[in-house]
Amino acid sequence: MSFFRAISTWFKPALSKEIAKRTLGEFKFLAADLELTSLDASEAHITSIGWVEGRLNCIDISSCEYGVIRTRKPLGQSPVIHGLTNETVDDGESIEAYAKKLSALTLDYIWVFHNAALDLSVLDRAYQKLSLTPVTVVYFDTLQMALYELKKRHQVVPSNSASLSACIARANLPDFPAHNALDDAFSTLQLCYWQLSNLGAKPATQLNELLHTGAIKAVTLGKAS
Amino acid sequence: MAEIAQQVRDFLSVSAPFDMLSPTEIEHLVKGAELMYLTEECVSELTHNISGLYLIQSGQFSVVDSNKGSRHLSEGDYFGYPAFLDRTDYSIDIKVDNPGLVYRFSGDAFTFLLEKTSVSHFFNALQSNSLQHQMLEDSNSMWLYRPLREVVSKAPVSISKDTTIQDAAIKMTEYRVSSLLITEDEKLVGIVTDRDLRSRVVAEALPYTDAVFSVMTNTPASISENKTMFDAMALMSEKNIHHLPVVKLNTQLPTGMVTASDIVRLQRSNVLFIIGELAKAESLYSLARLSWQLPHYFSAHAKRVGDFDIAGKILSQATDTMTRKLIGFFQEAHGKAPMLFAWLVYGSQAREDQTMGSDQDNALLLASDPTPEQADYFKAMSEYVCQGLAKCGIKLCDGNIMASNPELRLSLEKAVEEAKRWVNAPTGDAIMHFNIFLDARCAAGDVSLFKQLQSRRAPLLKQSMFLAALARHTNSIAVPLSVFQKFVFEKGAKQKDAIDIKVRAVALINNIARVYALASGISEPGTLARLKSIDAGSGLSQKDAKNLADIWVFMNRLRWRHQLSQNVTDNLVSISELSSIEKHQLKAAFKAIDRAKQAMVLRFSGGVG
Repeated sequence: MSFFRAISTWFKPALSKEIAKRTLGEFKFLAADLELTSLDASEAHITSIGWVEGRLNCIDISSCEYGVIRTRKPLGQSPVIHGLTNETVDDGESIEAYAKKLSALTLDYIWVFHNAALDLSVLDRAYQKLSLTPVTVVYFDTLQMALYELKKRHQVVPSNSASLSACIARANLPDFPAHNALDDAFSTLQLCYWQLSNLGAKPATQLNELLHTGAIKAVTLGKAS
Repeated sequence: MAEIAQQVRDFLSVSAPFDMLSPTEIEHLVKGAELMYLTEECVSELTHNISGLYLIQSGQFSVVDSNKGSRHLSEGDYFGYPAFLDRTDYSIDIKVDNPGLVYRFSGDAFTFLLEKTSVSHFFNALQSNSLQHQMLEDSNSMWLYRPLREVVSKAPVSISKDTTIQDAAIKMTEYRVSSLLITEDEKLVGIVTDRDLRSRVVAEALPYTDAVFSVMTNTPASISENKTMFDAMALMSEKNIHHLPVVKLNTQLPTGMVTASDIVRLQRSNVLFIIGELAKAESLYSLARLSWQLPHYFSAHAKRVGDFDIAGKILSQATDTMTRKLIGFFQEAHGKAPMLFAWLVYGSQAREDQTMGSDQDNALLLASDPTPEQADYFKAMSEYVCQGLAKCGIKLCDGNIMASNPELRLSLEKAVEEAKRWVNAPTGDAIMHFNIFLDARCAAGDVSLFKQLQSRRAPLLKQSMFLAALARHTNSIAVPLSVFQKFVFEKGAKQKDAIDIKVRAVALINNIARVYALASGISEPGTLARLKSIDAGSGLSQKDAKNLADIWVFMNRLRWRHQLSQNVTDNLVSISELSSIEKHQLKAAFKAIDRAKQAMVLRFSGGVG
């Protein structure tokens, strides 16, 4: 299955009316990033995962989580990009442990990703494979929001202008060592706050008011398609 | 262990005083810490009256965090600490001028770290605006006057008194030392040197199996480790010895040894050494050859801050020596001067704060108007000396402030008249031009001639209109801080984060000291000497004068280190060259200069900038 087909079968987002009426201030934020063996969602395996929590405009520094995932799959490009070797990955934890931790962090949370489609579809596959209880997640995609902003300014979005590093640089946020799951997640959360404040979002802003950007959606992970 | 994002580690590793914390202490600090993106919309919700230590990573904020009014703060600045230092519940009020990232560390973590001297020292200094002092206290002046415990690093080689002579000799060979301390119960009881083994053992044919105490020098001279190298040298020449044990003050336990070769080594690496060598030069060729080694000599040997403090003085003295040597060489070839003269030096050479990039500023003062022949003699002498100095590496002056310029070879009378003209028409341009002449010193020739000029000029230069013009001129130079206390960098400089330490700091302090010195009739040209001599009646308190002097020394250290480490002769110090604490110190220093400048304008030009 191609990457795009994988996305389209999985991609049936809907934000219930009740959730859409809730305000940003009522949620906690959880920015996560997965490092994968491939960019093709249908065959990618997770090699490491990192996340950090906070509430609107605030990051709880001591909430950082990072873990290397045990996998038997070939690492593909991972050793080069993410610095993970076969030995590290063999010593890792199972994805199940992290998925269960994440499941506990869904109620009243908005998950934040840069390129949510890829990470969420890989997580979805993992949930299905492990037969975990399905969970519904409200998420915010900083990539989608960057594209929304770029499209307002450019007829054709310049290539590479929506990558996490490019967005971070544009926002004048601190440099980060790219391609470590935790550091990417940490920067993604800052980018999310910057984007929201650019839109004039406040704690009292309802999710409704952000739907037009296409950056905020919901998905159920682990539901057999 | 909790995970810490690399970005947090990176930022803390460049944020004094936290850059000195151990990994465990960092973990403690970040426990319960938050990183906030502060915008106008969210600031009150996130921060209103929440105590803790705040550290700005980006953005600009106006903050009230004590009873001292609002402060404009930006990147690298802290707030929230006064509540903990004063143990008072100040409310915190933050106005966002430009949104950005701000760390908040918990009060518990901060209180815990305040137990550390380095941390509490930092924040107390920050609160009392005295951060720029800290660097000066860190070290004393030159090696010669530093305590031995800092200079002598090698542990002593010692042996117990009952060891055999042979074992003692074996140990000396093994450690490659020429002397050995003999101890009993770890206390020093004697010393054995190479010479003792030769004269007391071999020459006397003593058996090597005898105990070493039979040939040692009993109760040798020793020196306690809190004494200086200078004391050690004095004691060694007095006692005519080459080995001097260093002991702890109270316990007499040996901690090291000073040897004659240590002193020679230190002497050669002493930046003062070069002056003695210059004075021995016998021709222009050998003088120039030695002079060209000066930059190399400084970069090789001026390593300690104490060396930077005296480097400007040494370079000025070296230039004086070169000048005197050159005048001497000229007179050997062309006969004695036809009348009394004084070779005057101006600007940095006069103040004795020359750097590698300083060019020559000099003039000739003649006892009377010269006849055409006399004028020719002085013309030839001036040209020889100025060109000779250039050959020795002291650049010719772009502005032609040199004795080789006929306008700067004036008789005493003409020089006094010229000073009158300055004082009567103190326009901005004129002040730019003659500021340099207000710091003057006689480097060669007849000092009394120069003193006459000084005493006749002094009352003119004290006139309030003139001082007001000088004060206004100084006020037109801004310290490089924005209203949010951010560094303002030099436009057009090669590095984006450069500040001209000479123009923006050293020259400003020089100007301030000059105005007060002229007002008080002080004839000293050096800025530190001026600041020391200014009496309280002048309007500058002793505390402020001391403060300015400290800042001046600090700034000079920065530019000397910059020149020597970057191998350049400019004064454009990049902020990235500085350690985190130095950035704070620099900022505090600029603020203090600005305050002193405002006070001076108020005092001398009635507040009209």
